[in-house]
Formats: sequence, C-alpha cells, structure tokens
Amino acid sequence: MSVREWMVGLSAGEKHFIQGGIAQDLRADGRKRLTYRPIYVETGVIPQADGSAKVKMGATEVIASVKLDLARPNPSQPGKGKVSLFVSCSATAGPMFEGRGSEELSAELSVALQRCLLGGKSGAGAAFDPSCLSIVDGKLCWDAYIDGLVVSADGNLLDALGAAIKAALINTRVPVANVPAGASLDEDPDVDLSSQETTRIDTSGVPVIVTLTKVGRHYIVDATSEEESQMSSAVSVSINKERRICGLTKRGGAGLDPSIILDMISVASHVSEQLMNKLDSEIAAAEADEQM
Amino acid sequence: MADLRLLRMRCYWRLAVFRTGAVNAASGSAYAEIGDTKVIVSVFGPRESKKAMMYSDIGRLNCNVSYTTFATPVRGQGSDNKEFSSMLHKALEGAIILDSFPKTTVDVFALVLESGGSDLPVVISCASVALADAGIMMYDLVASVSVSCLGKNLVIDPVLEEESYQDGSLMISSMPSRDEVTQLTITGEWSTAKIHEAMMLCLDACSKLGKIMRSCLKEAALASQE
Amino acid sequence: MEYVNPEGIREDGRRPLEMRHLHAEIGTVARADGSAVFEMGNTKVIAAVYGPREVQNRSQQLNDQALVRCEYSMPNFSTGDRMRKPKGDRRSTEISLVIRQTMEACILTHLMPRSQIDIFVQVLSADGGTRSACINAATLALADAGIPMRDLVTSCSAGYLNSTPLLDLSYFEDSAGGPDVTVGILPKLDKVTLLQMDARLPIDIFENVVQLATEGCKAVANYIHEVLLENTKQLEYRRGL
Repeated sequence: MSVREWMVGLSAGEKHFIQGGIAQDLRADGRKRLTYRPIYVETGVIPQADGSAKVKMGATEVIASVKLDLARPNPSQPGKGKVSLFVSCSATAGPMFEGRGSEELSAELSVALQRCLLGGKSGAGAAFDPSCLSIVDGKLCWDAYIDGLVVSADGNLLDALGAAIKAALINTRVPVANVPAGASLDEDPDVDLSSQETTRIDTSGVPVIVTLTKVGRHYIVDATSEEESQMSSAVSVSINKERRICGLTKRGGAGLDPSIILDMISVASHVSEQLMNKLDSEIAAAEADEQM
Repeated sequence: MADLRLLRMRCYWRLAVFRTGAVNAASGSAYAEIGDTKVIVSVFGPRESKKAMMYSDIGRLNCNVSYTTFATPVRGQGSDNKEFSSMLHKALEGAIILDSFPKTTVDVFALVLESGGSDLPVVISCASVALADAGIMMYDLVASVSVSCLGKNLVIDPVLEEESYQDGSLMISSMPSRDEVTQLTITGEWSTAKIHEAMMLCLDACSKLGKIMRSCLKEAALASQE
Repeated sequence: MEYVNPEGIREDGRRPLEMRHLHAEIGTVARADGSAVFEMGNTKVIAAVYGPREVQNRSQQLNDQALVRCEYSMPNFSTGDRMRKPKGDRRSTEISLVIRQTMEACILTHLMPRSQIDIFVQVLSADGGTRSACINAATLALADAGIPMRDLVTSCSAGYLNSTPLLDLSYFEDSAGGPDVTVGILPKLDKVTLLQMDARLPIDIFENVVQLATEGCKAVANYIHEVLLENTKQLEYRRGL
C-alpha cells in the first residue's frame, strides 16, 4: 500500500471527482466503467531474447521477455521443462522504485502472475504445456525464463504484464535442437543448434488477466493509478479461451461479501472475451509488422 | 492460562486446537495445531513506528512468517516466507481497526513449528487469535480455510501430501460474523460452478472454525478472571 | 581472432570508422518529467528524469546547489547469458557514479539550490557501449525535462583491435579484451568531461583512438540536436503556433 500512497497525492476535491465519476459511469478520462484504454502491442523488442513484447495501456508500459536455456529436466517431471516467472519494476517508472523500493511490489506482481499463469502444482490451468519444451525425455529440455519489466506505471500493471507475457509467448521461437545420434547424454550433452528451424509454443490456452477494481459500490476495469488509490479492494481473475478461471488474487484490505466476489468473477469473465479478442488481433498485427 | 481445548470437527476435518498465551514476552500470542500443522504466533506492540517512516494517521501492520529448520520433512526447506508474509498481511489488514492506533506499528511474527499442509490458513487463523489476545481492536476474528481440487473432488483442509498432488487450490480468509471475505486466492483451472461450490464449502468451514477460535478466547478470558 | 577482415570489414559488416545505427525517441515514459529512449544498434536504453523537486532525504540537502542522483539498472534478460543478480551490484554502482558525475558537470546545479534531480537509466538490451548509450539517453531526458544545462553531453566509445582503431564497439568486439576508450564531450564548448580506458595502449595510438571517439561524440551530438529540434517543432505544432 505504501507504494501506492506515494505515487499519487490527491486533494479531497479530486478524490470526490474520481469517485463521483465512477458512480455515474463516466470516468475522469471519459471512459465508461468497463472500457479499457487503447492497447498497443509491439513484439520482438529485445533482440537477445527468444521472444519478447512491449505492451502499452495508456501511460502504463511493460516489457516481457522469454528466454530459453538448455537444462536437465527435474527427475520428478522428466518430460517437462521448467518455467519460471519474475517481474521487476524499473526506477524509470517512478522515484519510489529506486533501490530496494520496488521489491515489495515486484514480489506481489510476481506471485500474482505465477498464480495466474503457471497453474496448480500438477500443472492444471497452466498457460501452456511445459512438455513442449522437452528435447530428450528425462535428459534434456529447455528451461523457460519469463521476465516482466515495468517501464512506466499508471495503474493496472497486472493486466498489462499478463498481456505482455501472452504476446511474448506467442512471439517465442523455440530453436530445434538436433541431438547427434548415439551421443551420450549422461555427461554434458553436445547439441547441434545450428539449424535455423524453430517451433512455436502452443499458446491457445494462455489466459488473459482481468482486474476489477472496486471503488465505492461499483467496479471498473483498467484503473489508472489515481483511480487505484481510491479503491477499497481489487480482484484479478485470469480467464482462458474456454472461459475457465485459471487463477484469482484479491488485493486491497477491505472485506468483500462472497456474493459480490462471485458477481465480480462473472463480470470479469464477460469482459475477458472482449479483451482476449482485442489482444489477439493486436498481437497478430504486431507479429505481422515484425515479419515485414 | 487457557485450558487445552480439543474440538473434533466434522469427520473430514483434522483436529483443531487453539491456545492463547504461548509466549510470555509478547503482548499477545497464540498456538494453533490443526492436524500435524503446528504454529506459534506472537504479537508485539502497538509500538512507536520507526523514525524513517512517514507520518501515518492509521496504524501499520508488520507481518513475518518463518519456518523452523525442522518444520519440513527435508531439513530447512521452508520456503515461500516472503510470499506468506505478504499474504498474512493482506488477510489481516482488513479486519484490524487500524485507526485505533495511529502513528504506531503492530508486529505479527508467525513461526511454523511443523508443516503438515494448509500452513498459511492455520497461520492466518492463529494470528487473529493472537491479535485478539494482545487486545488489538478488530472488526471480527479472521478464520481461514483452504480446499484442494484433486481431479473432480474437493478436499477441504488438505494435508501436505494432498497439496503436492493438487490440480488447484482455493484459499479463503473470512470474517465469519460479518460474512465478509478478506483474502481469496485461486490457483489452477476452475469452472465458475466449482468455484461457487468450493467457496460455500470454505465459508461454512470458516464460520465453524471461527466458533472454535471464539470459544478458546472466551475460556482464556474466564480463566484470567478467576 | 580476426576482428577486421583483410577487406577492412568488421564482424557486423561495418567499416572501422563507422558507427552503428542511431535512434532516439523523446517522452516515452509519460509520468516522468523528462524521458528518452536511445538506441545504438542493438543496445537500447531508457532514461527517465524526475525533478527538480524537494529533497527526499533532508540530510543530503545542499544549500547552494541541486542534488543530482542517478540509478543504473540492467534487467537479467538484457544480455546474452541470463543470470540473476540483485540490484546494486558493483558494476551498476560504478556506472551509476560515472553517469551521475558526467551529468552533474553539465547541469547548472547552482540555479536550483535545495532541490533534487533523479536520473534513472534502464538498459533494455545490451550489446556493447551501454555506458555511452546511457549518457546520451540521460542527456536527452534532461533536455526533455527542461533542466538548464551548460551543453548537451554526448558520449561514444572506440577501441583498438588488430592494429586498427575501431569506432563504437559491439559486445563481441568489447569482450575481445582489447582497450575500450569511452569519451564524453561537451560539443559546443569542445571540452572532454569523461574519459575512461581499461587496458594498455601506446600513447600515440591512444591519442588517435581518443580522437576517433571524440569524432563519434560529435556525430552523436549532431543526431541528438536533430532529434531535439524535431521534438521542439512537434511541441510547437501541437500548441498551434
């Protein structure tokens, strides 16, 4: 919370204006309660990564990258690569993220995204099947490192990061590793990565994250940081194409009535469909741009 | 102080025991044992906030969860502390009347003695008993329960082994007498109907757990009067 | 290792005295007082400036000039190999210091006593010459924030491999272990504000390499001027003037 209080200093009049606007379904920037800011997607922004994307939602700007490393799979899951996800907040987003100031928020965002995208312990509900990263069962696999970076913060970081990671995963090219026949894989394996061939990750199951922020009696999507400072609580739901819930996190101190939570879930699931379509077309356009 | 209180909950529940006054040096403390999971929470304060912190007209809450080296089957494997600490903070902050101690800080230190599954829910419930024991003003006690989804079945209050095979989990912290949810997390893939079912199961369990916590506090209060 | 082939072409297809492609954009971080992205080939850096504003830590306040602070950070995905390291390791502390000192020398700090200026530099992708790119990005961001400066500091690096002076080293050339000279100049005043080298070099060749790097700085300065001019025109246009 301390980070959020830092970011915006609002007078009583401004607070009243924001709350009043939300109650009347006309927000300070002219949007309705369930309208997103324009979303811009650019893929392939980091040449060193195997997949990367930049997403802008209003003044919020985040970058996600996917990097693949050759590794030995975990003996308990021989046919799968390891997937890890971390988020960091750049000091460029604001002086409060300087030094160790970003740790709290970074950890909160990392945990929330891990919950929304990596699924349960058994892997149910994960964004993609990590078995597509396997090269030789039990011997060799790709480990995927997903990194998020907040460059500019103006609210709704979680949804933006979720969208950027989705775009980065779609952008990811997994190199085809040719293991020489008869090579012993028990020592350090010699793998031929020279071929230009690449495969893609099946990203059809990657969910989108919808955060509903409750201000007064109403909920809004895509809150700016001014609006977030007025929230009583927020619920982030990650929803996939089949409209199944893949993860949920509640933020903010105030308690919520259980029936309100269920209502928020159904609203989020309704909103997710529009967001998913919008995002898919933006990502496709960005991918086409990059090919040119 | 308080009598050891044993209450057998419904058959698929583990045995739940709460006891206040486990640490003498603290302003308030509680010990909780649910099945194999054993937790001690001590509460210190309210004390003066550190000078470096900005002025605040509401109180601050500082939470920390740690594991003993022998808490887990493999020595010193208790991880997730930072994550648990922030989750504990979020679950409690909505229930505490922070306006009642401006400019000051309350410390909540939780120590998991033995990890036997559902650690975080036990820590949260135990912490709210400890806060009550310390005389910190709260709207209501916070009871917390988790369910695991194993295939098609929902398992309430999962043990360690069940947690390691779960497809998904749902954890609710609620204030039972106000019927409000202070914290909710879901992992894994769920349908809306299933979430509904799991939430109802959890809320029902929370209200029962709340009663046990309440009776523990009542008994402690009676014992101190005598 | 051959870094320059007999035809005089470098590993990435450049001539020895050729710079990489420059690209700059102003005002990329909407919430900052000033911000810029600066690219040199594959090296990409974002800088954001906050201030001048009230000093956060009273004990650091200076009564006769502004306090300039700088933080440099590099995410773990920016380089070729991925590693996890905490913020504030020695390398980034050193670069933070270099950027701070360079920028402090050109900001007219005496005009803003008892205030603080924060410069945050974030590397997005590192392919050699991050130091120079950071300084160039910081200059643009400071100009965008409207902070009074003596001149626009610009920076460029040069090296010496295979008995050839090379301008603007890439990561591949930088890691060859040869000398790497980073120069920062104030182009209008024709003064050097930053000079760093981390290897051994005969003094006459050193002069040549520094001369080359200075030429590079001037080329960067020209580009930065163009970008700022274009940006000002845009601002003017938007105001309807």
